[in-house]
Amino acid sequence: MSNYREMVLVVEDDPQIRNFMKYALEKEEYKVLNAANAGTAMNILLSEPVDVMILDLGLPDMDGMEILAKVREWSDMPIIIVSARDQDREKVCALDAGADDYLTKPFSANELLARIRVAIRHFYHSGQVNKEEIFQVGELKVDYARHLVYLSEKEIHLTPNEYQLLTLLARSCGKVLTTGTILSEIWGKNYGTDTQALRALMAGLRRKLEITPAKPRYIITEVGVGYRLVDE
Amino acid sequence: MNSIKRSYNAKLKGFKSSLISIGFMGLAIILGQVFLWCGLSETNIVIVFILFVLLTARCTKGYIYGIVTAVASIFLYNFFFTEPYFTLAVNNPDYVLTFGVMMITAIITSAMTSKVQKNIKEAKEQETQARILCMLSNRLTDAKDMEEIVKNSIYLFYEILKCEVGCVCYKENSKPDETYWAVNSDGILLKQTLENPTELQSRMFQLLESYDEGNKFADWPIYGQQDILGVLRINQFCNRNLTDSQIKLIRAMVENIGMAMDRFRQRQQAEHNREKVQQERYRGDLLRAISHDLRTPLSGIMGSAEMLMDQLPNESDNYLLARDIFRDADWLKALVENILNLTKLQKGKLNPKMEYEAVEELVENTVSLFSRRFPEYELSVDIPDDLILVKVDGRLIMQVLINLLDNARKHASPEEGICIKVDFDEKSKNAIFSVIDHGEGIAEADLPNLFQMFYTSSIRNADARKGIGLGLTICQGIVQAHGGEIWAENRKEGNGAVFRFSLVGVKESKNE
Repeated sequence: MSNYREMVLVVEDDPQIRNFMKYALEKEEYKVLNAANAGTAMNILLSEPVDVMILDLGLPDMDGMEILAKVREWSDMPIIIVSARDQDREKVCALDAGADDYLTKPFSANELLARIRVAIRHFYHSGQVNKEEIFQVGELKVDYARHLVYLSEKEIHLTPNEYQLLTLLARSCGKVLTTGTILSEIWGKNYGTDTQALRALMAGLRRKLEITPAKPRYIITEVGVGYRLVDE
Repeated sequence: MNSIKRSYNAKLKGFKSSLISIGFMGLAIILGQVFLWCGLSETNIVIVFILFVLLTARCTKGYIYGIVTAVASIFLYNFFFTEPYFTLAVNNPDYVLTFGVMMITAIITSAMTSKVQKNIKEAKEQETQARILCMLSNRLTDAKDMEEIVKNSIYLFYEILKCEVGCVCYKENSKPDETYWAVNSDGILLKQTLENPTELQSRMFQLLESYDEGNKFADWPIYGQQDILGVLRINQFCNRNLTDSQIKLIRAMVENIGMAMDRFRQRQQAEHNREKVQQERYRGDLLRAISHDLRTPLSGIMGSAEMLMDQLPNESDNYLLARDIFRDADWLKALVENILNLTKLQKGKLNPKMEYEAVEELVENTVSLFSRRFPEYELSVDIPDDLILVKVDGRLIMQVLINLLDNARKHASPEEGICIKVDFDEKSKNAIFSVIDHGEGIAEADLPNLFQMFYTSSIRNADARKGIGLGLTICQGIVQAHGGEIWAENRKEGNGAVFRFSLVGVKESKNE
């Protein structure tokens, strides 16, 4: 990788949290810009080559969702939203509206860095990922071309729906996919919000992939939000 | 003195009635003589007699005078107006028939007249009663508080009875007040001291009649819907001379007063409750606002402490200090989350986002969250192989599991380990979650109180770290909001406690 380090814009109204994020990011040698409110953030976005945005949903001057929508009009840059715990609904809305990932306050620096890494890799190297014929994480291997899945070099048999679910997660591995997104991807847009079938499908897949389903290695549940396939 | 006067009155009335009867009979005889002298027929004389019998019945009280005069009129007629005059003998046997008819007519008319008399009297009494009751209820509705109810009623009693009347109120705790209002025989309102409240209370408690005779007063208990609310005290002498209708009236009045007192108390209670609810809401709002605002600075503290830890060499003094800051902030954060959930529960606006969640996913998530915070604790998980779905708000159920794990952690050492177990009860279709520790178990004394708010075991050392007794209350609130049940017990084999909760679930077979 070249010496280029991505520019991260932190939009957060609380100075302490901003400082701590700035510190954590600068330690990893990202370039960091700060904005305490939506107005400043928009100005920076228009004048600076921002690569990644970390966006607090609870800003004093504008709803975080509005900024998200505005930015999405012209840019696909990775956006990671930060929210309080009881903002589940807003979180899911933001993810469905195009945010790439989320962090729940209070979060640790390592979580923050991991999310940023995943987001950047996805966005700026996704071309390569998609071209790859084979996806691999840990002992799990998916051969897209031949529609085959291996665990510890042993082929495992998945139903078509299970395979579809796995590839869906694998193509955005490391990122959370909301329940709503998965439902409409697999069963179609008009399927609604009944999660029962998805839970059953996931249980089936998990039993084939995980040795101990209660302590999963690959597919992580984010209760109230969706699922995530681990990327490392 | 009163009673003497009263019996004297009665005698006087009897004397008057007798005089009226005799007078009317005398008049009848004189008029009869006049008719006879004028040569009018005897039938007219009979009619005159019947007329005077009727008048007697009309002007005297009761049946007796009317009937006596009716009988007497026959003999008088016979004596004065049938041949042979001035004897009770009769020449013409026809007269026997005349006497018979005359007697029957006289008796019936007198009886009917007396009856009408009596009805009129009763109607008048009823009217007075109705008027008094109406007046009472008017005065009672105007009353703004208990004291006014009492004062208004005893004045009215005084107006009716013209003797000393008082009224003792009972307090909320069903004990009589030490002082009470009374109107003395001159109509002056005075506050009196109750000499022996307990004695009055016990007398009223044992009472089966509508009143009880004490030393100075006859005491009439005033009942509300549930409890005794007061005692009406009427001067003893006065009370002894009450007529039946007066007693009836007083009973009705006492009942009305009881209802008014009841109404007032209920109104007071409702107001009190409303205030309490309001207060509770303010408190909840405040708690919620504070907790909400605590969250952001806590994130800052935790993040900064983490960064400090990052900069410092492991296990150095400064590192340990930074770690303690982080841990305490982390604990505070958990507390804040709990308080927020609690205020949501109490507000009743916890509208859970109900979705089908897989039990294994909930447990998996909880375990990973917990292990991240307390990596030293060994957690074992025991979940059936079948997929169990529960329709819940996943975040809230996780909060329950986290609280239970936290609770178990406080009572068990890391090596002893904690176990999460889920069973499915086929019969009740319930998923039963258990959190099992191997600590010292729950003391018998604590078992019934575990889920009470702010309850922390009295048996453990107060400093034994960090429980303000909210965790389990919140667990209970959340589980109940989902229609489930939560309970605690001690392990049957070996040491340790088990906390269980049940939620209605669906079991899906593994193969689709």
